[in-house]
Amino acid sequence: MIKADNVVKVFSGRGVTVRAVDGVSTEVVKGEVVVIIGPSGSGKSTFLRCINGLETFDDGHIFIDGVDLANRKTDMNKVRAEVGMVFQQFNLFPHKTVLENVTLAQQVVRKRSSAEAKTKARKLLTKVGIAEKEGEYPSRLSGGQQQRVAIARALAMDPKIMLFDEPTSALDPEMVGEVLDVMKQLAREGMTMCVVTHEMGFAREVADRVLFMDEGKMVEEGTPEHFFTDPTEDRTKLFLSQVL
Amino acid sequence: MKSPASKLPWMLLLAAILIGLAAGTWGAVAKIDYAWRWNRIPQYFFYHGETAVKIPFDGRVDTILPQSDKVKVGLLSETNQRVTVTVDKGLLKASKGDDLFEGDTVGFVRQWHMGPLMWGLWTTMWLSAASSIMALFIGLITGLCRISKNLTLRGLAVIYVEFIRGTPLLVQIFIAYFFIGTVFNLNRNVAGVGALAIFAGAYVAEIVRAGIQSIPRGQMEAARSLGMSVLQSMVHIILPQALKRILPPLAGQFISLIKDSSLVSVIAITDLTKSGREIITSTFATFEVWLTVAAMYLVVTSLLSQLVFYMERRFAVSD
Repeated sequence: MIKADNVVKVFSGRGVTVRAVDGVSTEVVKGEVVVIIGPSGSGKSTFLRCINGLETFDDGHIFIDGVDLANRKTDMNKVRAEVGMVFQQFNLFPHKTVLENVTLAQQVVRKRSSAEAKTKARKLLTKVGIAEKEGEYPSRLSGGQQQRVAIARALAMDPKIMLFDEPTSALDPEMVGEVLDVMKQLAREGMTMCVVTHEMGFAREVADRVLFMDEGKMVEEGTPEHFFTDPTEDRTKLFLSQVL
Repeated sequence: MKSPASKLPWMLLLAAILIGLAAGTWGAVAKIDYAWRWNRIPQYFFYHGETAVKIPFDGRVDTILPQSDKVKVGLLSETNQRVTVTVDKGLLKASKGDDLFEGDTVGFVRQWHMGPLMWGLWTTMWLSAASSIMALFIGLITGLCRISKNLTLRGLAVIYVEFIRGTPLLVQIFIAYFFIGTVFNLNRNVAGVGALAIFAGAYVAEIVRAGIQSIPRGQMEAARSLGMSVLQSMVHIILPQALKRILPPLAGQFISLIKDSSLVSVIAITDLTKSGREIITSTFATFEVWLTVAAMYLVVTSLLSQLVFYMERRFAVSD
């Protein structure tokens, strides 16, 4: 589903160059839930953003369903329509109602009719548990509700892959649960997911595989049992001792 | 603890200052012995004038049919063509059987006409409206070019904005009319509207650029992550939000444009300002006319700012 091959992303500015992603290779198969963890600045968000082309990368290849993102002829809009993304800051469209947030891209990108898009949107809003708020503007919703709308918005495009970029980091603690519940449900339904998160509980419970990144490099990867109980690398042990 | 009653002394002070200013002005004018003639002004808004009704051919007056306050006059040409015209009672200048030549006056009708001030106001309004719409269009395109990744587009936009903002509007109007207008044989209205639109467009471009850049980056990323193209994201996500934010500065720019349009009077477009000057040459009522003209500009600009205020509240529903 996703195949990353020696991906390098270099940020340069003001005379400083940072290798944000430094030779990361991995593969995610269909239906797999991969959780990427690591300290801040380790390049995990940048790597995730490379996967749907929000960041361009400087070297290596990323294949989504066999399509090479490094190929300049690749239509990125087409690829992005197949890859849903959920952001830390929700990024709902504040001038549109909840329902419009979920229907807009369906109509503009997927060319669905208004009625069709609304039916789909209402089904998804029900699924994430906020059907009753469809007429509200995002500013009236709590953080947790906004993030669930953002998930519904991404799902409305029928993506093959869902990327989550620290979806619960901007939430009040009591709202983290409702968002994680939606994500767990998605994982159970067999969605291919890449999740950058600091929620170790979620990683342990839901992940099929955990990737640990530091300073742009993939330090360790393995099953949650291996990762949380018996990590091999010292860097991983140090990180886990600090967060657990 | 503030009580609402504490406003009163300040309102009294405000009133006292305004009355003092008015009294001071009045006193100063009284000293130079200026004879106010406000009664001359209304006729330049609307006047009740007589319009001549003329015979369209060589012929004679055939019938005269008096009605309640009009008179119907039947005219017969030498080729037996028949036409009926209506004139006001008492203003009939021909009698039955008269031979008339084409263009002779049969009589008059009294009608209300728009005076020079109203025509001037009308000219100012359409001039401003036309150049505002063009300025919005130019500004939108230039603003988008200004933030484009393409160096050529960005360079062109920067040069245009710098050139226009760095030269006086009056000089631009002269260039537009006497240079470009002469080369391309433009009439004065085209040159005037063009100069105003290009001038305001540069400022609108900066407003648009600032508006777009004030929208968080995440909005564009969210739109793109859903598979929308840059253009679709702009149209559906970025511009609607930016428009809401730039409405107040944009309105300020258009209000400025209405006022700046007074400068086109230098290329002999009879706008409100030039109408005022023309009235002064025939009445010498300098003070009255300029005060009236100023008041008319003020009415138009305040109506516009009220409209924008209303739109701002309408847009505020999603806040």
